[in-house]
This record gives sequence, structure tokens and C-alpha cells, in this order.
Amino acid sequence: MAPQLTLQAPLQLPPNEVPAYLNRLWSDHLKDSSGAATFTLVVWEPSWLQQQLIRTGRIDGPITGLLNGQLLDAARQAIGELGLPASTAPTAPELAWALGQQPGSHEAEDLRGQFVDRAISAHQPRRLITLAPTLAGDQNLESTVAAYCPLPEERGLTADACGDVVVLRGGMGAMQQGLAMLQELIPDDLPCWVWWNGTMDESPELLDALAVPPRRLVVDSSIGEPRRCLDLMVQRIERGQAVNDLNWLRLRTWRESLAMVFDPPNRQSALEQVVQLDIDVEGQHPVKGLMLAAWIADRLGWHLLNNFWIDGGAGEGRGIGAEFQRKDGQSVQFRLMPVPVGMSKMHPGALVGLRLICAPPERSPLCVILCSESGGCMRLEAGGVASMELAEEVVPLPNESEEMEMARLLGGGHDSTNPLLATAAALAAKLLPN
Amino acid sequence: MAATQTNPLRVGLRQERVISPQCLVIFGASGDLTHRKLIPALFELFRQRRLPTEFSVLGCARRPWSDDDFRNRMAEAMADEVKQHQTAWQQFAACLFYEPVDLQQDEDVVRLGTRLEALDRQRATRGNRTFYLSVSPAFYGSGCRALANAGLLKDQSRSRVVIEKPFGTDYSSAQSLNRVVQSCGQESQIFRIDHYLGKETVQNILVLRFANAIFEPIWNRNYIANVQITAAETVGVEERAGYYETSGALRDMVQNHLTQMLALTAMETPGHFDPESIRSEKAKVLQAARLANEDEPWKCCVRGQYSRGGNPANPMAGYREEPGVNPESTTETYVAMKLFIDNWRWQGVPFYLRTGKRLPKRLSEVVLTFRKAPVQLFDAAGGTPTANQLVLRIQPDEGAGFVFDVKAPGSGMRSRPVDMHFSYDESFGEPSDEGYVRLLADAMLGDPTLFTRSDEVEAAWRLYTPLLELIEDAPQQLPVYPYEARTWGPGAADNLLAEDGLMWRRP
Repeated sequence: MAPQLTLQAPLQLPPNEVPAYLNRLWSDHLKDSSGAATFTLVVWEPSWLQQQLIRTGRIDGPITGLLNGQLLDAARQAIGELGLPASTAPTAPELAWALGQQPGSHEAEDLRGQFVDRAISAHQPRRLITLAPTLAGDQNLESTVAAYCPLPEERGLTADACGDVVVLRGGMGAMQQGLAMLQELIPDDLPCWVWWNGTMDESPELLDALAVPPRRLVVDSSIGEPRRCLDLMVQRIERGQAVNDLNWLRLRTWRESLAMVFDPPNRQSALEQVVQLDIDVEGQHPVKGLMLAAWIADRLGWHLLNNFWIDGGAGEGRGIGAEFQRKDGQSVQFRLMPVPVGMSKMHPGALVGLRLICAPPERSPLCVILCSESGGCMRLEAGGVASMELAEEVVPLPNESEEMEMARLLGGGHDSTNPLLATAAALAAKLLPN
Repeated sequence: MAATQTNPLRVGLRQERVISPQCLVIFGASGDLTHRKLIPALFELFRQRRLPTEFSVLGCARRPWSDDDFRNRMAEAMADEVKQHQTAWQQFAACLFYEPVDLQQDEDVVRLGTRLEALDRQRATRGNRTFYLSVSPAFYGSGCRALANAGLLKDQSRSRVVIEKPFGTDYSSAQSLNRVVQSCGQESQIFRIDHYLGKETVQNILVLRFANAIFEPIWNRNYIANVQITAAETVGVEERAGYYETSGALRDMVQNHLTQMLALTAMETPGHFDPESIRSEKAKVLQAARLANEDEPWKCCVRGQYSRGGNPANPMAGYREEPGVNPESTTETYVAMKLFIDNWRWQGVPFYLRTGKRLPKRLSEVVLTFRKAPVQLFDAAGGTPTANQLVLRIQPDEGAGFVFDVKAPGSGMRSRPVDMHFSYDESFGEPSDEGYVRLLADAMLGDPTLFTRSDEVEAAWRLYTPLLELIEDAPQQLPVYPYEARTWGPGAADNLLAEDGLMWRRP
């Protein structure tokens, strides 16, 4: 969390005066700045969880929009106290909703938009616009603006590349009102990123209005109703919009670990002989597991034949099954099962384990098991795999924050969707039974 | 590094750092290097999605080409690649631009600045620029000056200059050139290329040493008896006679490539894996290196020149018979030498370096020979026990091997050496990037780890100064011994090691 070195104290202005004020700012104070030629970053920053934890007195303010250890600890404690399943992830919308049913009226200063991760500010955004909806739905629209320059250690010694920060705060109604003014604040001639840093279920009109192509959309498909998450991504990718998914980026360590198993050329032929794929996920959010399965199926050229729900055991919820056809016409069975965990990871639907069974002719079967660093794979090790050639790997937990991932996207921005994500999202949407 | 198969799960998976929006400006864009190496490397990066959308390449040279001329000529030169990836090429070619520029003409440089500003607006490249000097070494200094005078290097966080090799021709010229380029920008903006550092296996020396706890405790004079570093080529001088006649093997290979392998092999453990920590340790070890006999350097160095060889079916010309070579040339095509490193870790351990053209095999390797076991308990099947050797194979057959003794099968207790073998191909099966892909990407990322710093370059030239002076002032003291093409160099090079009771490894 790095405070910006502002050229001026954040200034609260009537919303309708913001565009003219910023134009003046650039023509007077920042006219020599070369920060004008970068990009605009618009962040939808509801931070419902943090707001509710503060309101109910579980943590102190200020409201920053950043996930820190104290917030996560308080969230995990609340999961137990509110009677939610232990597999509920701290960032799951269900937790914020359940907290919303609790009494409390604690208040805190709202500094959303004024703390920008160093990794992001190092890219010298031309304009950072934060939309900060408040719990009070009827709160009027407030707007704050400031010019800023990144700290010297973030960007070298020269100080001629600055930008500005705009925060729009208010109830949901006020957010809608602010939309017209906000569109005016996004320069047409610069790339614009829209980071939807909240559940993909909420405010669809606002999302549609904000994330119009060619703006580049960043979402997190682990947060929101699974069907909505996948369909929204697929629709936008099909329309040619550049879509980035933080949930997909978090799959990187799993994809890398699986690829490593098959790097030795003498193992690669086994990939053509896969007969079974099993994936275990935490809780009831299957999107991440489906995306991983879809990526594997796409890379190996499998064709989806059918899919179906599977009834899990007591307390485990429903799983998802599917049958694929390999390139040689043989069948591949796929199972994705939710498994209960004592303490979930930060995001819903985190992967617990993966098992890939290959049955090459005239060789003993190969069983590849990948386990999450924080959880075992006993369920996947059961069922006779001991008679197979076993390759087991532990997948390290990703250690990068959302802001770091976001910074990587901003640093190497593409105006098209990663083709692997595009294919995986489309197939994952088909894998999810209706 | 040849790939036997491609892992379908590996496609698009490289966990690479992302290059920031920027404009790459290539000076000497009409030259060979641009269409043979630079543009193919950039196209590879583009296909790997490692270039951002906000990216452009501005080719600059004296020829009055247009943007389309430049694009067409690059497409012609890379016809096979373009044919294979037509759609990608069309997208990539849209990033290519051209501006006729003579860096010696002030008005050209001013026009260049204006064009770059226009490209920044057109491509949203944010004023972030990498200047690549792919020009004659004579213009490195003046080229940097021209850029600095035009204010194009003012922003040290958003402008960089890449300088090709050779960086100077001796210690004094390298110092002068360093002074010039450092007066134009900060050291952090200067990227001096050494292609060997772009090789995966050269970088692997660092990983092997510092990621494995087993090696570092024995990586010193207590356990290592000697180190041999070899870079052997099978080819002759080919079309490079003009350049090679003025450089020879010492300047062409030893001062840069072999010295970089020496530095990576012998450097101390850096505190952090950051560019300055690594480059500081490399510079320190080179500053501690010296010829084994600085007072009488002819006693620790052997020069050679290939003569006719081959066989009746495939005869090979001698160096002096090659086109463009002086028939009485005394330029060395082979050099071998013995060095010491005067520090705690390496005191008394000889480092033997050799390189040559028209040798029997094309290979580069670093071989660390360990001290023999203090007591010989077993009879050796080969007569004498074999010392353990760690062989780092830089090219080809990239990988590593460890030679150690095991019990020879049979009823007795005799020992014999075996080879434990690691091969990049067998383990990964994935081709690694060509060196320019890695180095270009690093330069655009502003990561100087694999580029040589001014003090490294100067230390490397200073190390060989006694030899260069001897060649200049009293060449008869360091004669050029002929050796038959496709042999392992002159016999005198064998004597260099025989005096220490050793022999060159015959790989």
C-alpha cells in the first residue's frame, strides 16, 4: 500500500465541475508532463467485504479496497461465527452478504482510490478513476480529484510523468448518475482498462456502460454466479473485446506444474492416451476447475460429448461430470468434485488436486497427481493408482497479489484476449451443466 | 537446442516477464543483423505474445526507404517464417516503421525525435524507447552522442541504448568508449551485448551453482584442481576475413565469450539475484583474474593458425588461403592460455581457456576437474583412478554431466569412471529461445543482468593487455603455430597443460 506523492491535497469538487477542473489542471500545472500518453485505469471498487467488516466492528478502518492479512483473518473468523460452510472463501460474496445481515454502525474514513499499489503506479497511468459505492444506497455522489506523481523510487529520477486520480463515491443510485460524467473523463485516444474488482453478478448495467469495447476488461471469474461469470466472459470475447481474468491467471502454477510433468519427450506420447481427468476444488464454485479442464481438453484436442451433474456425498455438494472424445476416437472421463476443506484459500473454487490417468498401449498406466501446497491429495491417491506409474507434484500457492497481476497486465497490455483463455472460457461454459 | 517434440501443454505457457509499451529504434536497419537476427527475434516475441499492443519498431539507416519498403524487405528476408505465420506477420508488420537517418547529421536526429513523438501518439508507446546501435563499432560513441544531444536519452527510466560487440579493441579504447557513452546517459541505460550471455546454458551456470546446495561448498580450491573452458568451432573464417584479420581469436572470442563463461564459473555468490549484485561479482572476479605469468606472458599462452587439412574428398583451405586473408597473415585462429584468480576461493587453481576455428568439433563447455581421492583404495580399471569432473555443456547437446567412479562389474573391486548425464532435450524437449530473443527482451524490459557493465568490459580487456601488447610489440615472442584444420590445435597448446601434468579434455 503506497500513498501517492500528490502535487496537491485531494480536492473535493462538485461532480459536474470535475471534467473542467481536470482540463485546467493539465493545461496549467501538468502541461509539461509526459504522463499524458499512457492509459486510463477505471476500477470498480465496491469492497463490500471490507465495508461490512468495518461496519460490524470486526476490523478498523480506513476503507482502502486492499485485501490485507488483518482483513482476511477477520473474514475467516466471521465465516465460522456466521455458520457459513468452512469451505467458504473470504472473498466469496456470500460472506459479505451474510455480514450485511448483522447489526452494526461503525464508520471509518473512506480512502478508496487514494492508495494505489506501487506496482500499478509504476506504470504511470494517465488517469486513475475509482468508483467507490457505499453501503448507504442513498448517499449522494461525491467526487475527489488530485494530481499525482509516482514516488521517485517507483519510476527513476525524472519527475515529468504525472497523472491524476479521480474518485467517485456514493450510493448505487449515485454511481449511475456519475456515469455520464465518467465517460467524459476517459480520453478516447488512450488505451483504457476497466478493472471490475467485484462480483460479476452485480450492477450489470454499470458493467455494460463502463466496459464498452475497445476498453480492456479485467474480471475475476471466481467471484459471482458461475454461469454468469463464464457467459459474460464468453460473450465479450466473442464480440472481440480484450478480456483478462484474474482467476485464469491464478491457474498459471497449475498449468506450469502439469506441463512440467510432460516436458520430458519420453512422457509426451502419454498425453495422447489420457482416459480420465479428475479435479477437486474447494467449495461450490467450479469455474477455476472447469477452466483448467477446458485448457487441458483444448490443448490435447478433445471433443466434448456430454456433461452432467453428479450428486456428491453428504455435505459435499454437486460435482460435474463429462465425457470427451480424444483425437483417436477413444473416450476420456472427466469429474470435477467439490471437497470440504478446513480453511479455504482466499478465492472461491481454489484447486485442491488434479489427477490425470493415461493408459498407453503396451505400457503400464501413468497416473499424474498434482496437489495444492495447502492441501493433500488423499482422495485422488485412492482407487488403485498404486498399480500405476505415479508422478506426483505439489503445486505452489501463487504469491502475487491482485494488484501485482493487474500491474503485469497493464505493463504488457494487449488489445485482444489471450487465445488460450478465449478457448478455455468457451469450453468451460459448455462444460458447466445447465 | 533442437527439440524432439513439443509438449502441447507448454504452448503459450512461458512465465515470462511482460515487456512495457515502447518503441524499439534500430540503427543500421538496412544491415544484415537486422533481418537475420533482430526482426526474427522480435517476430518470435510477438508470436509469443510478449510484445504489448502498444509497440513499434522504427528502423533507421541512410537508405531512403519508406515504411513499406522496410516491411517488404524484412518480409523477403524472412520469407519462410512469413509464409508459415502469415496472419501474425501482417499484424506484426503493422508495428514496423522506417525513417532515413544518418546519426552524424544533426537535422536527421532532430527529425528522428519528431518521428518518435509522432509514433508515441500513434502507437501509445508512452515515450519509452530502446535504441539499438547495430552500426559499425566506429560509430558507437558518436551515435550515443547524437542521441544525447537530441535529448533522446534524457529520461533514464524510459530510454536505453543497446550496443553490439565489440566494445573497444583493447583496454584503452574500451575506457575511451565507456567515457563517451557514460557522458551520454547513466550506466543503467547502457546495454552492452555479449551473445553468449543469451544462451540458456550459460545462464544455467548461475542456476546450477546457486540453486543447488550441493555445489557451492565444493566450488573452490579445496576441491577443484583445475578448470578448462573451451569454445571450439569447426568452421573457418568464412566471409568475415576483413573483420577477423584485425581481431583474431583473442579479441573475437576470448575477451568476451570465454571471459563471460569464466566470470560466471568463478564469481562469488551474489547477495541477491539482481543485476547490480551479479554484475558486481562478475566484475570483481575478473579484476582478480590474471595471466598465469604476467611478466613472461608468452609462457602461459599459445597462439595457432589453421593450415590445410581435411581429406581428398573434402579438402580444407588453410587460413592464409582463405578469400580476403593476407597470405602472410599472423592473425591467430586459435588461442589457449592459463589464468589464475587471486582470491580466497580460487588461489592456486589454474583456469585453462582455449578457442579455435577449424577444430574437430563445434562445442563450448566448462569442465571442472576435482581433486583426486586422498587415498586410492581400489585398482582402477583404466590403470589410474579418474578424477571427478563436472562438465557443463554450453553447446551443442546442451546439459551437464558428472564423471565419477563406480565399481566395475566382476568379482574384483576395481573402479571405473561412468558419466551421469543431464540433457536439456531429454528433460525439457522444448527449444529454448535464440539468444537474441532473450537479450532483446531483457533490454526492452530494462533488465541489464545479461549485459556487461563498464567495469566488466574494462576488467576483461585489462586481463589480456599483456598479451595484446606482446602481439603488438614483439609478436615473435608469441608465435602463431600452424595446426592442421580439424585437429585440436597446435602441439604447443598440449605442452601448456603437460607442464602441469594435465591434458586437455578431448570431448
